[in-house]
Amino acid sequence: MGRSDDAPARPRAVSEDDVVDVRGLVRALGDRAAPTTILHGLSFTIPRGEFVALTGASGSGKSTLLYLLGALDRASAGEVWLDGMELGELDDDDRAAFRNERLGYVFQFHFLLPEFTVLENVLIPMLRRGTIARSEAEDRGYDALRMLGLEELFARKPGQISGGQQQRVAIARAVAHDPAVILADEPTGNLDSRNAETVFGVFARLAREQGRTIVMVTHDVDFARRADRQIRLRDGRIVEDTLHGPVPASRA
Amino acid sequence: MSGALSALRTSVFIGLRQLWERKLLNGIAVGGVTLGVLVLIAMSAIMEGFEQKFTQAILKISPHVILFDTELHAERPLLERYERTRVAAAVSHESPPDRQARIKRPHEIVATLGGVPEVAAAAESIAGMGLLEFGGKTKSIDVRGIEVRAQDAVTPVSQYVKAGALAALETETEGLAVGSGVAQELGLSVGDVVHATAPGGRPLDLKIVAVFEAEIPPVDKTRAYTSLRTAQTLLGRADSISRIEIRLVDPDVAPRVNTALERMFGYDGESWQESNANFLSIFAMQDMVVSFVIAAILLVGGFGILAIQIMIVLQKTRDIAILRSVGLRRRDILRVFLLQGVVIALVGGALGDGLGKLAIHYLGQLKVKAEGLVKTDTFLVREDTRFYVYGLAFALLVGVVASLIPAWRGSRVEPVEVLRGQIG
Ligand SMILES: Nc1ncnc2c1ncn2[C@@H]1O[C@H](COP(=O)(O)OP(=O)(O)OP(=O)(O)O)[C@@H](O)[C@H]1O
Ligand SMILES: [Mg+2]
Repeated sequence: MGRSDDAPARPRAVSEDDVVDVRGLVRALGDRAAPTTILHGLSFTIPRGEFVALTGASGSGKSTLLYLLGALDRASAGEVWLDGMELGELDDDDRAAFRNERLGYVFQFHFLLPEFTVLENVLIPMLRRGTIARSEAEDRGYDALRMLGLEELFARKPGQISGGQQQRVAIARAVAHDPAVILADEPTGNLDSRNAETVFGVFARLAREQGRTIVMVTHDVDFARRADRQIRLRDGRIVEDTLHGPVPASRA
Repeated sequence: MSGALSALRTSVFIGLRQLWERKLLNGIAVGGVTLGVLVLIAMSAIMEGFEQKFTQAILKISPHVILFDTELHAERPLLERYERTRVAAAVSHESPPDRQARIKRPHEIVATLGGVPEVAAAAESIAGMGLLEFGGKTKSIDVRGIEVRAQDAVTPVSQYVKAGALAALETETEGLAVGSGVAQELGLSVGDVVHATAPGGRPLDLKIVAVFEAEIPPVDKTRAYTSLRTAQTLLGRADSISRIEIRLVDPDVAPRVNTALERMFGYDGESWQESNANFLSIFAMQDMVVSFVIAAILLVGGFGILAIQIMIVLQKTRDIAILRSVGLRRRDILRVFLLQGVVIALVGGALGDGLGKLAIHYLGQLKVKAEGLVKTDTFLVREDTRFYVYGLAFALLVGVVASLIPAWRGSRVEPVEVLRGQIG
């Protein structure tokens, strides 16, 4: 049991600094006889601490790529190295353990569990991991909530807070356990511009102040420009890869 | 903290919370199980109550084994037993046909029985049909000629004597003890003299010395006891013993002892289970029918859990996807839903046990006048810890089995498919 609860140790990728290393990544979907290729052999690396915006038209394959980076999906061909681990070699339990320990997700629809309080939602991944005591997990949970300005709301249920707040809780859940990479799929897509700005600001701060590695899918041109780097997809291929250099967390 | 333990704790935490947050739906599932367990307990209590009472009633006045006057010719070819008339004619010269069947050397048999460890007591008697006349009314009766003290050790009739004394049969040569039903029908009381007749025997005027009531209507309404000698005269069977009745230390072993005694003495015997086979087989049948009913109700309870859990799993697909994406394993999800099934079952089972106990209490106080095989004025129920254990065990079984499919379905949820469907 113990082994599947801890992700197995594997040799590191070529560069110590590249937390993400994608090589010739292909993903085909649809029926087995005539699959549609969604991603056509992508290759790129992301160094530790980079804030990457993933853009592209609807249907270009952004989410598909994100699921592969997030150990939620399996590549049809190619390799995805994440924090020194080739995800294609992990079985279902190992991938779950990997997600649990090294990754943090934020989705467009604030995926919170409605029966649990804000704090409990943040704690559940850490409780499952069980590597730290509950009290320490709670401390980290409170820290994450405080950083996102949610400390007052810890005892509320998701139904009792606004959409923007829910999304920030999801971010707190994604960062509380100190993941190697934070993956966000249109985290601002479902929010009004004010809440979107707040949420984006949180990601920017996580990148600037805590040096987090973040891959964020966004349709917002402005947000994309404010990230360290923008990777643009079209029909499953990288058509643009621009470095912007550091920008202030918020213009406001 | 070990990984396995924290995983288990997390599953329990999630499972219990989700269960609690859906009180209405899960309450319905609990209700189904409760009902099943309640029915199981109440039905078992009623069935076993009646059966136990009936068995006790049979055993208080019936011998455990009876040896009859029919000889078993085990040593002769089997065929002869099926062609008895022809064979009887052919061998008539060597064994003149008995005018009347009887047990030969009954004293020796009784004495031998005294040395059999399983046997508690044995008594010789004669039985036959007779007719009583009194005050212009007649009634056919089952006459038993007994040796009072020996018979009382086998079937304690004297315990049930309401008026007079059974022992008077020893002193009063022409005395008769009748069942309360017989006395009531003819309007008899102790001291009355009845005219008794039997086919082939000598009519006698007998004095009522005792009236007994065993609270078994079939016995109380037909049975009459007299001394061995008087019965032999009345029935026209001088010196005949037609049966040896035996009481055992343990009535449950009667069938086995009966077989052994048959082989030992060569007379046809019958255990009390055989004598009451018709009733006991009705009980067996009834038990089966009731078991089906209980099984059906528990099954319905199980389907309740199944339906509700399937619904919850379908509604919770998104939540399962969240849990899986933040690192819960398939088996964690499986455990969450199995746990919910188990909790529903245990709560339902415990409630069913509690209500079942109440039901037994109130059923036992229910007034019913019944006079069939046994006489009673309350509902016959029996309480047994076994019922509660079975109730809980069956509930648990049903809960685990019923939540297997939903739990399995839940564990198969692929987060990436849910996410694709949601986000597109
Ligand atoms: N199960 C599937 N079978 C076949 N094709 C699929 C399946 N799921 C998605 N696709 C296709 O894969 C392509 C990429 O989808 P993906 O969700 O990655 O796009 P996206 O860039 O995230 O789009 P959006 O901006 O709308 O979220 C789309 O053309 C979509 O139609
Ligand atoms: Mg998408």
